[in-house]
Amino acid sequence: MKNRSIKSLLLLVSLLSFHISRAQDAIIKGQVKDNNGVTVPGVNVLEVGTMNGVSTDIDGNYSIKVSNAETAKLQFTFIGYAKKEVLVGGRSKVDVQLESAAVALEEVVVIGYGTTTKKEVTGATARVEGEAIEKMNNARMDQALQGQVSGVNIETNSGSPGGASSIRIRGLSTFGDNDPLILVDGVVYDSEGLNALNPNDIASINVLKDATAGIYGVRAANGVILIETKQGDKNAKPRLEFSGFTGIQQAARRLDLLNASEYAVIKNEMFGTAGEPLPFNNTNLGEGTDWQDEVFQNAMIQNYNVSVAGGNKSSTYNAGLSYFTQDGIVGGDKSNFTRYNARLNMMNEINSKVKLNSVLLYTNEERSTLPENGIGSVLYNTINAFPTDPVRTADGRYSYLEEVSDIINPIAQMENTFNSGIVNKVVGKEELVYEINENFTVTGRLGYNYALVDGKVFSPLVWYGPGKAQNTAANEDLDPTRVEIADSVFIERGPSVFESRSTFVDVTGEAFVNYNKIFNEVHSVKGTFGATAFKRRGESLNGSAFNTPGNSEEFADISASLAEGGFLNNTGSYQFEERLLSTFIRGEYGYKSRYLASFILRRDGSSRFGPNNRYGYFPTVSTAWVFSEEDFFNKVKLFKPITFAKLRVSYGVSGNDQIPNFAYRAQLDGEGVYVFNNVITQGIAIGRASNPDLRWESTRQFNAGLDLTFGDPFTVTVNYFVKNTRDLLFQPEVSGVLGTAGPGGQSPVINAGDISNRGVELELGYQSDPTKDFNYAANFNATYLKNEVLKTPDGVEFLPGASFGVGGNVATRFEEGFPIGYFIGLETDGVWQSVAEIESSPVKQEGAKPGDLKYVDQNGDGVINFNDDSDLANLGSPIPDFTFGFNFNVKYKQYDLSANLFAAVGQQIIRNFERQQPFANQLDYVIDRWTGAGTTDENPRVTTEANRNTEFSDYYVEDGDFLRLRNIQFGYTLPEKWTKKAKARSCRIYISANNLFTLTGYSGFDPEIGSAGGPLAAGVDYGFYPQARTFMGGFSLKF
Amino acid sequence: MSKRFRNIFVALAIIGSVFSIGSCKDYLDIEPEFAQDADNYFTTPEHYRFALIGAYDLLQASFLHLWIGEIASDNSIAGGESVVDTKGLHDIDAMVHGAVNDELRNVFRWNYAGVTRANFILENRDKIDFIGKEEILAEATFLRAYYYFQLVKFFGGVPLVVDERLGADEVTEVDRASAAEVYSQIELDLNAAIPILNWTAPERGRVSKGAALALLGKVYLYQNKFALSASTFDELINNGGYSLLPDFNTLFAEANEGHSEVVFDIQYSGIEGGSYDCLICLEGNAAPGFHGIRQYKGPVYGDGNSYNLPTSDLYNAFGTNDQIRRDAAILDIDAFINSQPNPGDINYAVGGGGHTGYYNNKYIKRQGEIGAPDNDLTSPVNYIVIRYADVLLMAAEAHNRNSNDATALGYVNQVRARVNLPALTSGGSTLTQEIWNERRLELAGEGHRFFDLVRTGQAASAISGFASGKNELFPIPQIEIDLAGNNWNQNPGY
Repeated sequence: MKNRSIKSLLLLVSLLSFHISRAQDAIIKGQVKDNNGVTVPGVNVLEVGTMNGVSTDIDGNYSIKVSNAETAKLQFTFIGYAKKEVLVGGRSKVDVQLESAAVALEEVVVIGYGTTTKKEVTGATARVEGEAIEKMNNARMDQALQGQVSGVNIETNSGSPGGASSIRIRGLSTFGDNDPLILVDGVVYDSEGLNALNPNDIASINVLKDATAGIYGVRAANGVILIETKQGDKNAKPRLEFSGFTGIQQAARRLDLLNASEYAVIKNEMFGTAGEPLPFNNTNLGEGTDWQDEVFQNAMIQNYNVSVAGGNKSSTYNAGLSYFTQDGIVGGDKSNFTRYNARLNMMNEINSKVKLNSVLLYTNEERSTLPENGIGSVLYNTINAFPTDPVRTADGRYSYLEEVSDIINPIAQMENTFNSGIVNKVVGKEELVYEINENFTVTGRLGYNYALVDGKVFSPLVWYGPGKAQNTAANEDLDPTRVEIADSVFIERGPSVFESRSTFVDVTGEAFVNYNKIFNEVHSVKGTFGATAFKRRGESLNGSAFNTPGNSEEFADISASLAEGGFLNNTGSYQFEERLLSTFIRGEYGYKSRYLASFILRRDGSSRFGPNNRYGYFPTVSTAWVFSEEDFFNKVKLFKPITFAKLRVSYGVSGNDQIPNFAYRAQLDGEGVYVFNNVITQGIAIGRASNPDLRWESTRQFNAGLDLTFGDPFTVTVNYFVKNTRDLLFQPEVSGVLGTAGPGGQSPVINAGDISNRGVELELGYQSDPTKDFNYAANFNATYLKNEVLKTPDGVEFLPGASFGVGGNVATRFEEGFPIGYFIGLETDGVWQSVAEIESSPVKQEGAKPGDLKYVDQNGDGVINFNDDSDLANLGSPIPDFTFGFNFNVKYKQYDLSANLFAAVGQQIIRNFERQQPFANQLDYVIDRWTGAGTTDENPRVTTEANRNTEFSDYYVEDGDFLRLRNIQFGYTLPEKWTKKAKARSCRIYISANNLFTLTGYSGFDPEIGSAGGPLAAGVDYGFYPQARTFMGGFSLKF
Repeated sequence: MSKRFRNIFVALAIIGSVFSIGSCKDYLDIEPEFAQDADNYFTTPEHYRFALIGAYDLLQASFLHLWIGEIASDNSIAGGESVVDTKGLHDIDAMVHGAVNDELRNVFRWNYAGVTRANFILENRDKIDFIGKEEILAEATFLRAYYYFQLVKFFGGVPLVVDERLGADEVTEVDRASAAEVYSQIELDLNAAIPILNWTAPERGRVSKGAALALLGKVYLYQNKFALSASTFDELINNGGYSLLPDFNTLFAEANEGHSEVVFDIQYSGIEGGSYDCLICLEGNAAPGFHGIRQYKGPVYGDGNSYNLPTSDLYNAFGTNDQIRRDAAILDIDAFINSQPNPGDINYAVGGGGHTGYYNNKYIKRQGEIGAPDNDLTSPVNYIVIRYADVLLMAAEAHNRNSNDATALGYVNQVRARVNLPALTSGGSTLTQEIWNERRLELAGEGHRFFDLVRTGQAASAISGFASGKNELFPIPQIEIDLAGNNWNQNPGY
């Protein structure tokens, strides 16, 4: 009885106290500063457990009404800072200092369908803040990512404005598409379409590098990149920001080519040694034409952004507009990229439990391009054009460069190239988040992506000179060619225009439940369970029309075509659709934030596979041990400086479905065309052979990592990983007896072959005391990577890759025991010096003459075998052994200086931009050619005589090691007293340079040459469009 | 409370809607749009006709047969930009070719692609009935015979796939058939096609009875079945209505295509152009462009790649009274330039792959026959696989070797009379040798020489580096042996 009455009394008291406290709402005030002591506006201040929140004003002050000044807990959050919770404890003034999240373990890490903290994450992840991306002033977000994160290598496939890059997370793990899955605010974003994303819109980038990316299942094998765009803040007045930069770009390097006099001497010798008439009577021709001077130009780059962000009690917004434009250092406005972006991010609390997150990104981009990265590209022509020919002849026409049929005048080529593409793209999501109670949250999300892609190519009638394959006119008077469409019926083939319009739409619908509860204050349990459905559709219609009027771009449109009867004009179209259906579950457990474990299972169904193998399961386990929390750790003196130490291990399986749609069945999409009655007649043929048992390739990935923090400022992260891909999706060659080698025929896609990537990643970070006037931060990262093909398909010894020269030897291979795309060719051992040496040599080299390259007899049979593989050797690999990134920034009062360096070591490049033709210009190393016994053991003789010096050998392979200062920036923040007068919060101006220097021994334009033609064409340099050196000035103004 | 219920309802609705999509099994069952499958085809007569065009397409691989037939022989060298330009041809030229050779591999693969496309029609022969089906099937049968004849000529016995398409794993189960088995399949196919085909093809480019008879006679001749060969050719000569074109110089002119001497030619068009990346995709003839004069600037001819250059041995083989055929077959470039009014303005380049001063004048890039829009790659000039002069010479040889010299002399002398050469009068093995010589001169540059030398046992004496017992056949490409499960024996000596 007594007990009971006490209980009742307690209940009464508590009820009373509730009412009293209701009656005693308290106003808490305070100021929020950062670790520099500077006040922070816009910080979200939230009473924990309620939806009651405000944000700080321009001076960092806030005022919030709480129900109980004793027990209320305030939570302070702001992008870039660690979340902080403070018990009010009866105070009326609560001042708070936020810590920069860069070094804080409470930093939020996005892991897919949820978040965790840096302290508790069990996988190998990395985070880059938007600020670091913005600072690089690159057109594309991925370019700005280079050197920022270990294990992530960005291969720039072209330095032209709007040129693509490839993102490689932990090496090449598949034969086909190696791009990671990219999600922008949870919406799938095609990596090819990254041009559309404005780097200034990015708040943060999270990279999931290891098997914990497996939450994304069948598309996670290449890693996952999660991009978040900028959000507004609650209870914040509109904050307006302007930023921009303008700059000038230039070619950073010129090749050392022969000038006219040197050229004439060399060519005379070349013909003379073969007993042919000398092409030049007079070799004293001066400098001649420097084609590089003619082709390269200074080009502008500009970018302006405006954004406004803010919010009220129950909603936030962040909207922005931007403009970016860049001309090319080759071609100027013929190689332009221009982009307009508009962005709106909104959050609306529909009621205290439900909020709606909306993202809308719109992009309009236009890009014009020139032929690049191949034989026939502008730079290939520039390198090989003869210095003895003028740009224009005395009568004003462009010179013809007649002696080499496939080299054309690059200036004429640029003038006659009209190639542009326009993309209009809308990406968005609508997301409802329902907080059922403090443990359960349900999220429903609809993401979409709509792109309208228009292309137009105008081919005027042009005459580059006799016999040039690029001629479209019949003669130099630009008469059209005549085509016989029936017996003795001719029509003219005039200028033509090709136009295409494609639409791509994808929609992702997903829903997931997050559960989060701490039991007994030590057992933290989190669960995630959800499903997602994805659909992508593409449709395209294209046409080409001839005889547009005036041979001019002005009338270049299908509607203007004057072609008779449509005999020449033609049309095409395609459409495709693909779907994914997935469910996933993740459980996370933590004991005292000391022992952590996570389990992921995803089930994916993909329409890319046939009914036999449509669904797959992808499991991952990961654990972490924060051993710095153990008692024993703190007892060891040696460990004293270590404030945080965590060991991580993960293992899991993820997949890759990047193959063509309907590859499991045989379609009649081959080419069956023949000529009857002199008319090209269309029939049908089987295209790709079928493989109903096709399934995805799977990647098994192991990661062990160690995270250490020494005090606050110094952090170390080490990862060791092994990533093995099995059942590689391939279209290897199949037996000719299957009949797939006809036109339009393709081998079936099959699962065969294994690849391994293993490596070590190291990240070091240092941040000095940021509250000091002088402070600095630096981080260094290094990656060691070993790529190896473990298995090729049965019966396939190797898959051939890129060839050397024109119609020459296959120089790269996919072969067991070697890295993907390694180089294979003859090894040289200097130059044959004399007939006596050749005759007395134990190794017989057919056709060798003094001055020829001496090859190494690899198989020891005493003969150099030119017509089989037996004397070929491994000549290197395009994949670097090590990559390094180094970033630092220094601040002193109003001044700041930052830099970003990137280095890659251990890779090779094939110098394939030299047209091996008698009259093509050459690099000036030929001046040191062999001219007689003892002259040189380096470079062979020059001669038009038949010789084997153009066989692919290590003579054409160079080390590609380089160190590049990717960005350096010096900024000055105007004193507050000035900015205040203008009612501005801050104003910063800066000067900056990209690619200021590159240290390399490589002789081409740019050692960072990417892999535009796929993994097997990596490291083959056809005269790569180099990344520009850019000098910029910019500003950032905040109100 | 009601608000909470509403919220829960919203949450359930979100989850429910997504899961309902997720549970929908049909979601992933999508069909390709506007596209046809290999297995639900042949439902209309048009389908047969379309598939037949696909089977004809592979005839356009002929440029490779033309090259190798000449370059492997004493008639020409490989040429080209350098000794590694189309290296397989250089290896064959030097008779050092091994089992790794891209050009031989293409011969193997492309002819099998042709066989497969013919089989695709023939395996579906019974799906529907319609008027004209028999003719389509007869043409498909002819095409299969033609492709197998190329294969057996180059490689000897090859796997025989008839009326079916193999799956990727089935290919390891088929072995090489003997050459005799391949030949008997070819004879079977041609004998089936001949009664159905008409003397006049329904369209130019489709095969006629004459083409099938000529191929059959040739197939018999290659097996030394002289009596059968002779009677087959006689039927063609007596009933086919073919005749020799009086002017030897215009035999290969585009303007003259389809003339009275053409028994079987492969059709090309100059309209479409194309690229070097996929020669088998071209609708134009690649051979004339490749044979053309390198970086030529001057009258009459177009620019080219200096491939397949005739040797002086061939040039000198023509007698002084045989200049019509010599000059029609071989272009002596320097003599030609010097005969022009302005030789100083004409120039050309010598390729690093070899130079003889001669070019294949039958199939060469000429200014009136330039394929638009690429100028130097494709040509509209058809490749004449079998012409009536060849038929007469084959018939002459068959009769001569079947001890009927009178008929043989009649045939061979028709060929000689056309180019004002005196009649032959000999007989027996002397006449045999004379007919063989006549074949070299009449058919120079047309892709027959190497196979004639092998067939007649003269290869070892005529071709330097030719190893008897080995080089009669080309090696099966090693990769094809590997890809078929490594079960096949390589040809002897390789």
